[in-house]
Amino acid sequence: MKVPVSWLSEYVDLTGLSIKDLSDKLTFSGIEVEGVETVGFTNRENYVVGEVRACEPHPNADRLRLCRVFDGVEELQIVCGAPNVAAGQKVCLAKIGAVMPDGSNLKKAKIRGIESFGMLCAEDELGLSNKHEGLLILDSKFAAGTPLVEALPPPDTIFDLEITWNRPDCLSIIGIAREFAALLERPVKLPEVSFPENGHPIEKLAAVRVEDAALCPRYTARVLTGIQDGPAPAWMQRRLEQCGVRPISLIVDVTNYVMLECGQPLHAFDYHRVTDHTIVVRRARAGETMSTLDGVTRTLDNQMLVIADPQAAVAVAGVMGGAGSEIAVNSTDAVLLESATFHAPSVKRTSTLLNLKTESSRRFERTVDPGLSDWASRRAITLLVQHGGGTVARGAIDVDHRPAGPRQVALRFGRCCSVIGVELAEERMVRILTGLGLQLADRNAERALFAIPSWRVDLEIEADLIEEVARIHGLAAIPDRAAQSFAVSGADDAGVRAVALCRHALLGLGFTEAMNYSFLSAAEMDAFDTRAARTRLTLPNPVSTDYAVMRDSLLPQLIGALGRNFARQAEAVTLFEMGRVFWRDAAGNPAEEERLAIVLCGPAGRGALDCRRPVTNEEAALWLKGVLEALAARLHAGVVALRPATHPAMEPGWAEEILLDNEAVGVLGLAHAALRHPYRMNVPMALAELKLLPLLAGVGRVAPAKNVPPFPAVRRDLAFVAPSRVQHAEIVETIRQAGVADLIGVRLFDIFESKEIGRGKRSLAYAIEFRSPSRTLTDDEVNLSLQKIIQALKQKLLVEIREG
Amino acid sequence: MTLAELDVLREQSLAELRAAADAAALEPVRIRYLGRNGQIPALMKQLKDVPAADRPEFGRRANAWRAELEAALAGRQTVAAPREDAVPFDPTLPGRWHTLGTMHPISRVIEEVCRIFNRLGFVVADGPDIETRFNNFTALNTPAHHPSLDETDTFWLGADQLLRTQTSPVQIRVMTSQKPPVRIVTPGRCYRRDTTDATHSANFHQIEGLYVDTRPVSLADLKATLACFAREMMGPSVGVRFRPHFFPFTEPSVEVDFSCHVCGGSGCRVCKQSGWIEIAGAGMIDPRVYQLIGYNPEEVYGYAFGMGVERIAMIRYGITDIRHLYENDVRFLGQFA
Repeated sequence: MKVPVSWLSEYVDLTGLSIKDLSDKLTFSGIEVEGVETVGFTNRENYVVGEVRACEPHPNADRLRLCRVFDGVEELQIVCGAPNVAAGQKVCLAKIGAVMPDGSNLKKAKIRGIESFGMLCAEDELGLSNKHEGLLILDSKFAAGTPLVEALPPPDTIFDLEITWNRPDCLSIIGIAREFAALLERPVKLPEVSFPENGHPIEKLAAVRVEDAALCPRYTARVLTGIQDGPAPAWMQRRLEQCGVRPISLIVDVTNYVMLECGQPLHAFDYHRVTDHTIVVRRARAGETMSTLDGVTRTLDNQMLVIADPQAAVAVAGVMGGAGSEIAVNSTDAVLLESATFHAPSVKRTSTLLNLKTESSRRFERTVDPGLSDWASRRAITLLVQHGGGTVARGAIDVDHRPAGPRQVALRFGRCCSVIGVELAEERMVRILTGLGLQLADRNAERALFAIPSWRVDLEIEADLIEEVARIHGLAAIPDRAAQSFAVSGADDAGVRAVALCRHALLGLGFTEAMNYSFLSAAEMDAFDTRAARTRLTLPNPVSTDYAVMRDSLLPQLIGALGRNFARQAEAVTLFEMGRVFWRDAAGNPAEEERLAIVLCGPAGRGALDCRRPVTNEEAALWLKGVLEALAARLHAGVVALRPATHPAMEPGWAEEILLDNEAVGVLGLAHAALRHPYRMNVPMALAELKLLPLLAGVGRVAPAKNVPPFPAVRRDLAFVAPSRVQHAEIVETIRQAGVADLIGVRLFDIFESKEIGRGKRSLAYAIEFRSPSRTLTDDEVNLSLQKIIQALKQKLLVEIREG
Repeated sequence: MTLAELDVLREQSLAELRAAADAAALEPVRIRYLGRNGQIPALMKQLKDVPAADRPEFGRRANAWRAELEAALAGRQTVAAPREDAVPFDPTLPGRWHTLGTMHPISRVIEEVCRIFNRLGFVVADGPDIETRFNNFTALNTPAHHPSLDETDTFWLGADQLLRTQTSPVQIRVMTSQKPPVRIVTPGRCYRRDTTDATHSANFHQIEGLYVDTRPVSLADLKATLACFAREMMGPSVGVRFRPHFFPFTEPSVEVDFSCHVCGGSGCRVCKQSGWIEIAGAGMIDPRVYQLIGYNPEEVYGYAFGMGVERIAMIRYGITDIRHLYENDVRFLGQFA
């Protein structure tokens, strides 16, 4: 909210404080100063009062004038385009060399063949306003040559304030003045409100019927007839402009001015156009339509409050007036002035549903002081009569359904000090609160009881008063003592630590952590997997279609990340993400689950000097399997196994289910060519995604340590050629089932295919280890065992043993 | 062979070793004694012919001889002059081991903040992204017509369900299931309907803290805790200041500024010349919150604070655009080793 300091200082004495002081006072008492702007004319060089001594038509242009302007020393020839220039005026003269608002220097110019030695300025050219309708004409009392700064109003400072949601009373100049009054311990000076009431009694002129007092606790109406509308006085227009409100005409400007001044939105109806001069405050009928001031026809519902006459709605209560009773410039000589209080949530709902935010709705939806409506009405009438004349009807209609009497709230001195953590004198606490306008109703040794002024709708309980004491006393006074700490017994964050352990294990395995949004486009998900499209969780109000669906897998975005990195020539990319996925469960309720996804492409599992050789599908898939095995070992998660499956995002034959101790927990495979194509990726992309919970279930499990075996192990290497369809697991199983004693390990250490071996076959080499727990095995024993194993392999799997 | 003969052989072998001039001359010595058909293996085979009484001693001496000879040989071989044609080790070659992955800056900040608050006796608590209206707004004393409930601000999934806009609902979950004292920090992902730009993201992370106890806890305790956090997180000379503010669930409410860790408070680009950086929102828990979740407001005291993870990451690492954090470009992520 914009607050001109000159306006503010009408209501509270700010002498002795610099702009910086004022700004700090506000910021450190809870109203943040977001901007400080100096407006007005401050330029001293080459700007003087000029006197137009002659003004003739320009010989070569119809709309230009050729002026002779006296600058106090000499007469200058100046070409001027303003329609209102005339001989004898005192005007604002910018001489050659003057710095213009855009930063340029004014130069001698030739305009339509005639030289011009300066410029006569309109308000915008002086940086005073946006007005460019004509020259700014000065009072004739100023002598030509007087520096212009002395002839123009002094510059003003405008604060741009952030008003927190709990302080609707501060959406007004007087509200801010009250804050300063409390901070500076100076009084608030409210403007005089008085006018002669010499018209008919208002009951004869108008009637108000409030049909829904819950939505309209108070409605005050006054009638003013015989007013002369026209432009508002210049000072009022300037203040409106400083606050970002466009001046229109006296009647409208006064309602806006009073709203900015005290926070009460007002509405002036054209008295003649309110049927029967009767206002009905009622709920709209479902489907009722009305045309608002902005020219839009609005359809209302039966929870919206309208201001109506007996025929039709004339305003959406608290939001916007209707076109039918609009006051345009000089359109009427009689007004019915509404000053009312509307139920904040109702105004909020209406303005949201109609998508209509106005200065009025902005205030009402945050609650307007119900004690204010009569004062604001009288203030507006005072200004209207002062500047537009007219006859004020006697009395006012004030339909008042406010709860009786002010709220009372007690402050316990001890509680206040212990919450803030500072010892304050009781007197200090009481003075702070009374300085804010609270009335001390009662007091004893432990507490003080305060009556809350009507404008402080936010003060409801003791904690609210404690906050007032804290912020006015100043938070800087709170000491920065040593932090106290202790353990809370029974607290458990093992789950969070397990996630961190998993993250660090993956970092150690060389994977970089990625992070994606929780939502993405439906198209991106469709490209990956459409099987669960029906149970996707879509956002009713997404930011854009790119982020319209909650992810049900971490993989689509990671595939994109991998692809983009590959397209940027990253050689090997290894990424993982831990995050949540979402869907609608069988009952249609939103559900979520933690997942881990790991992806890689390029020669990620090779040494740095072995990157040129193409990566095979088998390598890529087994690297990822190896990562899962290492991770499972670190997390005590059990045995990892893969089981063939099908998946639309995977290459046929390269989709596997991930089993953890025989429980299916996820999917591993190679991305389908269609997913790699957008990134021109012609190398395997390996993907894995699994539920995080089963992976972390064993974290923290402690197994008893085993002693180091006392006898040495004996290793025998065994190489053979087997049909390619024979799986590693079958070979291991056959060796284990061969019925030999003291077998402790079977480990594959070489595998290859070659022309020499022939198609459909591969060579495998295993290290087989034996150890007895009770003695050293002899060569003969071991050789016998090995022969048994060889027999079993030959018989069951038809392998050919390679000699040597 | 007798023990005496063995000793003679031993002396002889060591003498031959000493006499050998270079590596080439050492090899025949090695073969003669240690080779597959050398003296020592032959001796071992003859062990069964040695009288049983001498056998253990004989075996022991033979083994000692072998060890002595091997050690002497190894010693000679290492000092042997390098061969003329041997390629010297190039220590400037790149090392060969796979590198570590890098942690995402958001995770780094979360882990670091949690570590510091762990030290101060806070435990980490977690909750779902999909929350109820009660946990996210109502229990936090947010009136139904507060603008944060608008469809323009919050992702509603239904009348009662939404994507949490803050991690405060975790505080509600913990408080409704546990008696004071409660001392938690709650990192997590949150959602607000912000249009993405350099400093806003509809998907972001927060860390909030909560301390509720039956003994007096004051704003001064809050300030001390956050000051301790500021020093550990940003540097030993970083200070804290409070500015009054408004949040529905705290009373009094404050905004928390840290003095600028870059310029020390004199003003620079990072702190926009103010010397201070806004880091967190905080305050004393509003008694209305206690009422809503079933604590007796007269019996408990407590504070809460909250901060944006992305914002801290951006300040800490000098990241200029929040979107970099979600692009997963390994050239960017690789910096955070």
